[in-house]
Order: sequence, then C-alpha cells, then structure tokens
Amino acid sequence: MIEANGLTKVYGAKTAVAGVSFTVRAGQVTGFLGPNGAGKSTTMRMIMGLDRPTSGSVTVNGLPYVRHKAPLREVGALLDAKAVHTSRSAYNHLLAMAATHSIPKSRVHEVIEMTGLDAVARKKAGGFSLGMGQRLGIAAALLGDPQTLILDEPVNGLDPEGVVWVRNLVRYLAGQGRTVFLSSHLMSEMAQTADHLIVIGRGRVIADAPIRDIITGKGQSRVRVRTDQPDRLHKLLAARGASIDVPERELLEVTGLEPRTIAAAALENQVMVYELTPLVASLEEAYMELTKDDVEYHSLPAAEVSK
Amino acid sequence: MSAMATESTSSPEPAASAGSRNVRNGGRSLPGPTFLRVLNSEVIKFRTLLSTLILLASTVVVMVGFGALSAWGTGQFADAATRDPQAAARMASQGGDLAVSVPTSGIAFAQLILGSLGVLLMSSEFTTGMARSTFAAVPRRLPAFAAKLVVVMVTSFVVTAVSTWMAALVAVPILDNYGLTLDPGSSQSVKLLLVNSVYVAAVAAIGMALGTLIRNSAGGIMSLVGIFFVAPIAFQLIPGDFFKEARKYLPGNTVEPLTAAQHVPDTLETWQAALVLGGWVVIPVVLAAVLLKRRDV
Repeated sequence: MIEANGLTKVYGAKTAVAGVSFTVRAGQVTGFLGPNGAGKSTTMRMIMGLDRPTSGSVTVNGLPYVRHKAPLREVGALLDAKAVHTSRSAYNHLLAMAATHSIPKSRVHEVIEMTGLDAVARKKAGGFSLGMGQRLGIAAALLGDPQTLILDEPVNGLDPEGVVWVRNLVRYLAGQGRTVFLSSHLMSEMAQTADHLIVIGRGRVIADAPIRDIITGKGQSRVRVRTDQPDRLHKLLAARGASIDVPERELLEVTGLEPRTIAAAALENQVMVYELTPLVASLEEAYMELTKDDVEYHSLPAAEVSK
Repeated sequence: MSAMATESTSSPEPAASAGSRNVRNGGRSLPGPTFLRVLNSEVIKFRTLLSTLILLASTVVVMVGFGALSAWGTGQFADAATRDPQAAARMASQGGDLAVSVPTSGIAFAQLILGSLGVLLMSSEFTTGMARSTFAAVPRRLPAFAAKLVVVMVTSFVVTAVSTWMAALVAVPILDNYGLTLDPGSSQSVKLLLVNSVYVAAVAAIGMALGTLIRNSAGGIMSLVGIFFVAPIAFQLIPGDFFKEARKYLPGNTVEPLTAAQHVPDTLETWQAALVLGGWVVIPVVLAAVLLKRRDV
C-alpha cells in the first residue's frame, strides 16, 4: 500500500507535483497515467526517497521508504532503465544490488532467467537496447521479492512480446496480493493492464477511480443520429438541451440526450431517423478529454506544422 | 466462544497473509542494508569495473617506472658528485641520503591517478544514473557513502604501499651499480612508505568528496588538479607574504614536513602538517556527506 498525502515538489520556479494525494492498494494493478511532464516520475522518485518532497509526505506500507529496515525487500522499483553503470555487466550490477540485502546469488540467477536476460547478462549494460535495459530494471526491481512494485514506464522500448510479458507479469504479481503501481503515458496500455487508474496532469490528480468508471463515467455518452432532415432535428434536439456536432450532412453527433429521448422527439415531429447509435467513449478518448487542458507540450496539427 | 472460533476459522487466508506480510514489513527475519553488506556491495562494484582496475595497474606501473628512473638519475648525480666538488656540495645540502626517497618519486602521479579514481567512483554514479539504484537500495545514503570512502581509501593506501615497495626492490640493484645503498627496511624508508600511502589515501578521499559535491567527472578531476597542481604553482608566482605563507597549508605541501628527518625551514611543523592534511580530508568529506544526504539524487 502506498499513501501519498499532499505531495508537492517544486524545482525553482516550476512546480512538478502540486499537492498530490492518493492511495495505491494491494492486490491490484494501479495505473499512473499522465502525459509527458505531468509529474509521474517525480512522484515515483519521491516515493523511493530519492527526491525530497517540498511539502507533503508519502509512505509505503505505513512507513516512509527511507525508514524501512530492508527497503529492497519491501519495494522494488524500476525508475529508469538507465539506472545502471554503463561499464558494468548486468550480472555484476544485480550481484552488487543483491549484496546490500544479503540476497543470495541463486536469486540473481532467478531474476535473470525470469526476465530473459541469460544471453546478455555478462555483457556491459551500456550496450543494452532500451528493451534490454527495461528488462534489467525489472530484474533489479524483483530482486528482493518485494511486496510492492513501482514501475515507471516499464513497457517503453519493449518489443510486442515484451509488452505482453510485462502485462502478464504485473497481473500475476497483483494476483498474489502485491501492490503494483505502474506508470504510462499510453491510455491503451493502461486499458489492458490496470484495475485502477490515477490520472495526473500538470502535477495534479485529475481522476482516481476504477478503470471501468473512467471509461464509462467521464466520457460523456454520445449518440450518432442519421436523418434526412438534419436542420429540423438539430433545432428540435437543441431545444431539449443537447449539444450537437454535425460532422457531415445528414449526420448529427448528439451529446447530453439519451437515444430514447432522441427517438421520441423525432417520432413526435415526424422526422425520419435512419440510424441511432449510442457511442461509448474509448478509454483513449476519455483520457484526452480528461487531460486536454493539462497537457504541457501541445503539438500542432500536421497541416499547421507543414505550413 | 463458538462465534469467535468460527470467525477465526472463516478467514484463515487473509490472516495468514497479513501475518507473513507483517514479518516482512518489520524486516525482523529478512536482512537489510547493514554497513558490512553495503561495504560488500561497494567492493563488488569496485572490482567489476575494468576502468578501476586499469587505473590501479597504471599506478603500479608509474610508481615502479619512476622509482627505476629516479634510481638511475640519482646514481648518475652521485657519480658526477664524486668528480665535481660543486655537485658534491649540492648533494650535501640535500641531507646526504638521496637514495631513500627514490621509491616514492612517482608519488605526484600516483596521487593524481588515485585521486581521479576517487572522483570517478562517485561522479560516475551520477553521470550513469547508477546513483538511483544505489540509493534506492541504501536510502539512508550515508552507509553507501562511507562504504565507498573505505573502499577507495583502503585501496589507495594498499596500492601505493605495495607499488612503493616494488619500486624499492627495483631501485636497490640499480643504485647498487653506482655504489649507493638503499635499505627498504630502514626506519626512514618505512616512514616514507607509510606517510606517502596515507597521503595518497587522503587525496583519494578528497577526490571522492569532490566527485560527490560536483557530480561531474571532468569538473571533479579539474578541481583536484587545481588544488594539487595549479594552486602550488600559482601561489608561488603571486608575489607577497600572504601567498608564501598560504602555500604551506596546501595539502600537497604537507608531505615534506611529515616525512622530513629534520624540520625543513619554511615548512609546517610535523603536527601542524598532520592537522592541515586531516582538515583537507575531513572538511570536504563532511560537506559532501551532508549535501549527499540532503540533495535529490
């Protein structure tokens, strides 16, 4: 269990994390979702005692990370695939980490095997691809067989097989009753992995809810309506308080009214409707909706970039 | 009674798992990062870097090489002195025994190499990102700092002492050729060996403190060179009594008073030199430790 309370980090004039509070529970995968620069990594570094919060506090299983007697056995973290000395081999890196907690050599071999690093374990970590670096980071996180796992963007740079492997691994670990806290900037990744979602934007928590609530709740339901009298139906529905987009002629996208209400309005006024489809917002759309005002780096549409 | 019994048997699993987790949380049964374990980890880190081993080997080569060269040069000088009264006078002014300092003649380079090693051991943690792994494993940070300090100081001491000894063994037959004797077991020889080894260990500690404070390899090594090579020359060139006096307090100028058989004029007393060198180690090391504890990794 991870509990953050009013966690704030200010770097000079820039506030990276602004009073974030949340709880990450055991036995489920909690996703930490936010666009780049939202404060995910900073929050994770503060959990691990690497960055000192400007204010607020965070505990893991009831204690600040620094105060745990055997921290690597309590929390395993992948914070950065490059948290390795580039000239040291993967095996020696893990061996040195293990030595701090008297973790036996057999466990080092075990995590190397688990993460599929056997073939490259004796090679310098500096020559690793991003994907191999991620595997080494995950191996280091698993070293102490910890109850809590914190993984910052673990699927970054992994090949499709690796992505599926990470997904299965975190689901398996959560199934064993462990706490798994996983960050990503990709909604689609979260949709397939997480049970619970904490969405962060510009250093603030925007949403903190079970993943299905975020899919169905926040993305407002819309209805696609095709009719041969779009202008007339537009007026009728607008009068009932709907907001309406007209992507093409004879097609209305109606937000704020139930399909049944729309059908009733059309029937009453003898407007023919030849399609009536409820649209469930995808998680991706819900995420864009949630964070559209909180993205730090906006990109221009392709057309404007090429101008 | 029966209700309690049913209650306790109805949920055996959560109780069991909570129990086992408590044992984990307390860390009572599972070992954490004690100083000795962290020291072991730092030793593994030290010996698994090729660059470290190369620097250690270079130190030995440089010390033995300079010992041999210096033995040859000293022999030539002594040879000339027997024919040239002026050279003989110069030799006498140096205290007579030239041979005894031959084995430590490469010390200026040993201190540069091992001082840089001290810088690199810590700065590379930050430049490579390894620091995040190191201080996640040892979140109290200071045990890792202390362990690294022990590793670098002990290694620097041992490598300097061993290579000085080897330089002496190489120098003895060369000096013998010129009719000069060097007794590596004499008290002055042993004193030179020990003081110089302690001194190089001190330089390595200063290097590590600089690496911790600056967190950048080039910056740390440049600062080290500044203190040990640039400052002594600059202080000599700047006119005025202040710099003449200040020069005595530079760490590189503490070795002479610490090893001299008799006090050399214009240098510190032995006890003063020991204090000054100690200060040069303790102040940056304490400062580095305090800032390491406080700063973000």
